[in-house]
Amino acid sequence: MFDLEALILSLKLAIWTLVLILPFGVWVAHSLQNMGGKRSWIEAALALPLVLPPTVLGYYLLVGLGGKTILGIPLVFSFAGILIASLIVNLPFAIQPIQRAFEAINPEILEAAQVSGLSKWQIFRLIELPLAWRGITSAAVLTFAHTLGEFGVILMVGGAIPGETKTVSISIYDKVQSFDSSGAGALSLILLGTSLIAIALSYGVFGGHPSLTRKRRG
Amino acid sequence: MLKAKLFQASPNPLQLSIECIPGELHALVGPSGSGKTTALRTIAGLNNAESGKIECNGKLWFEADDVRGVRTSLEPADRSCGFLFQQYALFPHLTALENVCIPLHNSANDLTQRRLLAGQWLERMGITELADRMPNQLSGGQQQRVALARALARSPQILLLDEPFSAIDAPTRQGLYKTLAELRKDLNIPILLVTHDLREADLLADRITVIDNGVGLQTAPPQVLFERPRNSRVAELVGISNKFEGVFAAGKLSWNGCQRIFDVVDKGKIPPNTPVAWVIPADGISLHENSSSTSIQTQVEQISALGQIAVIQLRTIEGNHVITWEASAAEVKRLALEIGKNTYLEIDGGKIHIMPLRPINDPRRFTN
Repeated sequence: MFDLEALILSLKLAIWTLVLILPFGVWVAHSLQNMGGKRSWIEAALALPLVLPPTVLGYYLLVGLGGKTILGIPLVFSFAGILIASLIVNLPFAIQPIQRAFEAINPEILEAAQVSGLSKWQIFRLIELPLAWRGITSAAVLTFAHTLGEFGVILMVGGAIPGETKTVSISIYDKVQSFDSSGAGALSLILLGTSLIAIALSYGVFGGHPSLTRKRRG
Repeated sequence: MLKAKLFQASPNPLQLSIECIPGELHALVGPSGSGKTTALRTIAGLNNAESGKIECNGKLWFEADDVRGVRTSLEPADRSCGFLFQQYALFPHLTALENVCIPLHNSANDLTQRRLLAGQWLERMGITELADRMPNQLSGGQQQRVALARALARSPQILLLDEPFSAIDAPTRQGLYKTLAELRKDLNIPILLVTHDLREADLLADRITVIDNGVGLQTAPPQVLFERPRNSRVAELVGISNKFEGVFAAGKLSWNGCQRIFDVVDKGKIPPNTPVAWVIPADGISLHENSSSTSIQTQVEQISALGQIAVIQLRTIEGNHVITWEASAAEVKRLALEIGKNTYLEIDGGKIHIMPLRPINDPRRFTN
């Protein structure tokens, strides 16, 4: 049977993750530009979810969040819990592409903005953010696709409560366990399609801005 | 008026004093890595000097000393200077018009007004039809015109030009020279131009400051600089080819290795029996077929024909000095010059300029 509830929950989780992590990712990535010696430590810490086994991360989150609540909502085996887990897991996917995009901006362009009389906020809003747009788009696509497919950490922190923490990936696992091949296949196909569309959007629609892809003169 | 005294020991040494009055185009000239761009960036606030003072129209932009450190340092945005970058530095995601709108953000709140003002600047630069083009759709010369419009759009109190013509082909450069010359008349603000091209500085500047290893060696109008360089290094940097060494005493200059003594006019600044460098401009040299009591025997070593001009390299028989002499093709024919031929050189002592020989790192060279 097709698990629409799990699909809607996964989409809800991916959208919430995106909404919360993107502004934070932009802020962190931008702040890292001006950091001195501590930068590499912070970068290493932010990249940790990439190499840490999801079950290990999930275990620590379970231990760390267990018994705690936000506004009366428990943080384990709840949507709030898997949202926090998703935010932490996605940090490197959200921050690194944006950071690379900020780094790719020619420093002379930022100096030109300074001597044009722009304040730091104006430089960020009018120059840096538009020039880093491709990196932000990549970060959004990666985060969205990764959240839809996240399994280990979600299972550890949220379990598999239908409508609350049972996402598409967990539903696929459950269906395979109960020999529901057609249900698992349908959901897998949806995840595959979503991933392909996300990648196509990233490379096609947003990747073709002439001013951002041109080779700089001189 | 711009007044800047800048000092720093590292990373790029700087020991420089510049004054530039409204309407003046002041060129900073020196070899690559001499610190001229660092000086310009420091004035704009993109770098900070260790100590010094920068004032523009009576307003203090920067002040620092060794004891109290930096006391005043305005942000680049607050210094009211237009800065033209060597590689244009246009905002790649904005059209030409939008690029020029950027400096107007804080002076004109209304977008329509900003676009109107920016359009006027593009018109002044003769590139109205390029308003909607992206920077990557513009040639180097067109990009530099947009960059110049952007630099001037906020009505700056000074204009700083960092090698603005070096990445542009020669015909386009001529057009930009003309535009700059026209703008100068209207703007009436100090303009500082950084260039390594002496001919460009000679063509455009009212005064030139020669910089070497961060130190300002001499500030003078181009004519004075080429005829009367302050010291041997300046002569070298401004490309004076006929530079020699000798000893000066009581109005007499003896040329090392030669018997010839020249009567030389000096302002009395050089102590007696001082080793000096001396230069002779092209119009102080003449070449003859026959000898005289004052002539120096030379041999033609090389003749390089460059169209209607020939550059003749002569070597003195006594002293073995090499002298470069430019002559017209007609003169080469008249003297029947050919390699190996003996000729007689006359040097007009009245046109000789003598200067002290000083080592490069002598702090006394900070003269401004």
